[in-house]
Amino acid sequence: MNPSKLSPTPNQVGISSRLGKFIDRTFQYWTVAPLVITLLLLVAYPSYQLIRMSVSEVDIVKGETVWEFVGLKHLETARQDPVVPTALKNTLVFVIAVVIIETILALVISLLVSRSNHFVGLYRTVLLIPLLVPPIAIGTMWRLMYDYNYGFINQALAVFGIPGPTWTADPQLAMPSVILVDLWHWTSFMFLIILAGLESLPQEVNEAARVDGASESQILRYITLPLLRPTLLTAVMLRTIFAFKVFDEIFLLTGGGPGTATEVISLYIYDVFSGQFRLGYASFLALGLALIISIFVIFYRRVGQRAQA
Amino acid sequence: MNLHFMKKTQRGLFLSLSLLVVFSFLLAACGPAAATTEAPAPTEVPTEAAATEAVPTTTEEPKPLPPITILINESPWLAGFEALVNKYVEETGNQVTLNRTPFNGMLEKSRNAVQASESEFDILTLNEQWYMQFYADGLVTPIKDIDPNFELDPQIIEYEWATRWDSELGYSSEKGELYGLPINGNIMLYFYRKDLFEAQGLAAPQTWADVEAAAQALKSGDMSGYVVRANPPNWEFQAFLASYGGNVIKLDEQTGEWEVTLNSPEGLEALNTWLKLGTEYGPANFADNGQAEMIALMASGKVPQMVLVGAAAPDFDNPEKSTVIGNVAAVPVPGSAAGMNATMSGIWVMGVPHNLPDERKQAALAFLNWALSKDAQLFYAQSGAIPVRQDVYEEMANDPKLGWWMKAMADSTPFIHAQPRLAETPQIIEVLDRRLKQALISEITPEQALLEGAKEIHKILTDAGYKVKPLAE
Repeated sequence: MNPSKLSPTPNQVGISSRLGKFIDRTFQYWTVAPLVITLLLLVAYPSYQLIRMSVSEVDIVKGETVWEFVGLKHLETARQDPVVPTALKNTLVFVIAVVIIETILALVISLLVSRSNHFVGLYRTVLLIPLLVPPIAIGTMWRLMYDYNYGFINQALAVFGIPGPTWTADPQLAMPSVILVDLWHWTSFMFLIILAGLESLPQEVNEAARVDGASESQILRYITLPLLRPTLLTAVMLRTIFAFKVFDEIFLLTGGGPGTATEVISLYIYDVFSGQFRLGYASFLALGLALIISIFVIFYRRVGQRAQA
Repeated sequence: MNLHFMKKTQRGLFLSLSLLVVFSFLLAACGPAAATTEAPAPTEVPTEAAATEAVPTTTEEPKPLPPITILINESPWLAGFEALVNKYVEETGNQVTLNRTPFNGMLEKSRNAVQASESEFDILTLNEQWYMQFYADGLVTPIKDIDPNFELDPQIIEYEWATRWDSELGYSSEKGELYGLPINGNIMLYFYRKDLFEAQGLAAPQTWADVEAAAQALKSGDMSGYVVRANPPNWEFQAFLASYGGNVIKLDEQTGEWEVTLNSPEGLEALNTWLKLGTEYGPANFADNGQAEMIALMASGKVPQMVLVGAAAPDFDNPEKSTVIGNVAAVPVPGSAAGMNATMSGIWVMGVPHNLPDERKQAALAFLNWALSKDAQLFYAQSGAIPVRQDVYEEMANDPKLGWWMKAMADSTPFIHAQPRLAETPQIIEVLDRRLKQALISEITPEQALLEGAKEIHKILTDAGYKVKPLAE
């Protein structure tokens, strides 16, 4: 390296020094600028658009988007809309059922797999298969299996002389049928997270407890589950978020029917948006759903913080 | 020295990266608007004929028109439409590309096309439940704007003015401007097993009472007496409603006032008949059958009669699908009394997007003109599609292969009714479907279904700014 080439003129030193000081002063902002700009463009702007649409009537006339500010009109529409309470109730029933059952099932399977000394890789692979299948394929597959006349389940029952029920046509059975499909699909997801959590727990504590004479159930209750709590909370929170947004499976299995037995809020938003082309009202409902999910997320975080404290 | 150098390098690197990201976003933001609004490259597959060389033209022949792209849904009549397009390409040398799309993607693609700076499609195929919005919002071009001398051939069935839009009244009326041309004449027919009916000494039903009598006589073991369409139910129910002289809504053209008449005595009679046939004579999963399931039930010999879209007829003659070949007959949908028949229009129309240069619009209309000619429609029908000309139906009624249902189509034309055709139709249909499904599974009574449905429809119309008469409760 030739030092003479690096020697700046006095004028260059002055500019360079001022620029250097400016960069030093603002350096922290420059480093986060790409992230902030990316977030603004990818998150904040679409969110702003959603909020803007939810207080507007939006129509497309001659290819131009026409906006009309309507304030809280959509809140009043939602309050009078008979589908909204039914869809919300069904969504809550669905979310509570799948989150609780899937958590318990996944916990049990994870405990069994983590304690198994043989075929652990095989168990993991097999248990992960449902998660790899696209929801559209799952919906179609189960729709065919549930078919009253030609479905595998009823044909299998018929072999034993049991008359198959109308899985998706009976208002009492439709929601349980949908929940069953969701359990089949999403328990793997919970299993994956909980198993990872179990495997990361320190084994020394368990061994010490065993040396002190603790039984396996005591270890599970007083050591494993408390240590696993942050993992469980994360898994439950993620599953709750996904369950609130359930769409594909119900769309294909029942389309929200029979009657309104499986009408969930995502399905209704789709219908309002795509079928009825009420962009403003659909945005309002979508925003409402996002707010409800946020409440659950905040609740889980609070519970997590309290547990840590 | 090294640390100072590294610090300077890091600083420079971060600064450069930051500037690069900002610059990239600015560049992207400043790019041409069309680049952001244009739909992605279509996944069209050119038709066989389009892929071949264009027919050479002589100096006397007219210059070939610019190539056109048609958005078409993947449905049972697609093969017939493809054959029609291939014939057009062979005869004229004009090129046509088909963008075949499943039903669920049709509306989104159509909307995206009309919002772009220039539509990627020259012709949109619009469903009975969508086209009103495209007409009302001016998203397709009035036909007379493309060709001021255009006159619709009176043999082309207009399906209670599905082709027109009256912007003053805000609905499809005879006085409206011509916006779309029918391409698929789907209406309902009544299908029945003539072998079973003959064995029982039953004639082809003309009334719902006849249908019920047949259901009673034929229901046994594996065989249901009747099956209603539950997914979605509105279309079939509206045929029952019209056959009792009822409507969902009614316009007084003198005063321009709308009246919601769903909860009329006629409505209740129609709903009770529909529910009785569906629940008392239907299969165990009566609340879960869509069109595909109904076709499968008839084709497998599990139901002796049903009201179904005419386009299903070829399925009953298809040896790969049907166990009842030659045993199914079709007549117009029965009525509350003889002569009170009613069938619902469920057609597809073709429209030319508003956002096309004139040359492309002319090319699109040239195809439509050709496709609706009698010869083309005869070929279309023979290729397995559903024509839209009365003279073609009448001629095809004598066809040895297709005549059994083409005659029923010809006979049904005087009984064609339309669902409400307003820009708000999708909302009205949502209410109808939901309330009918609730009644079908006894979640609410028929009276409640009609009254609550009527209240909701009344609110939809009122909120949309229509003049609406008070609801009779």
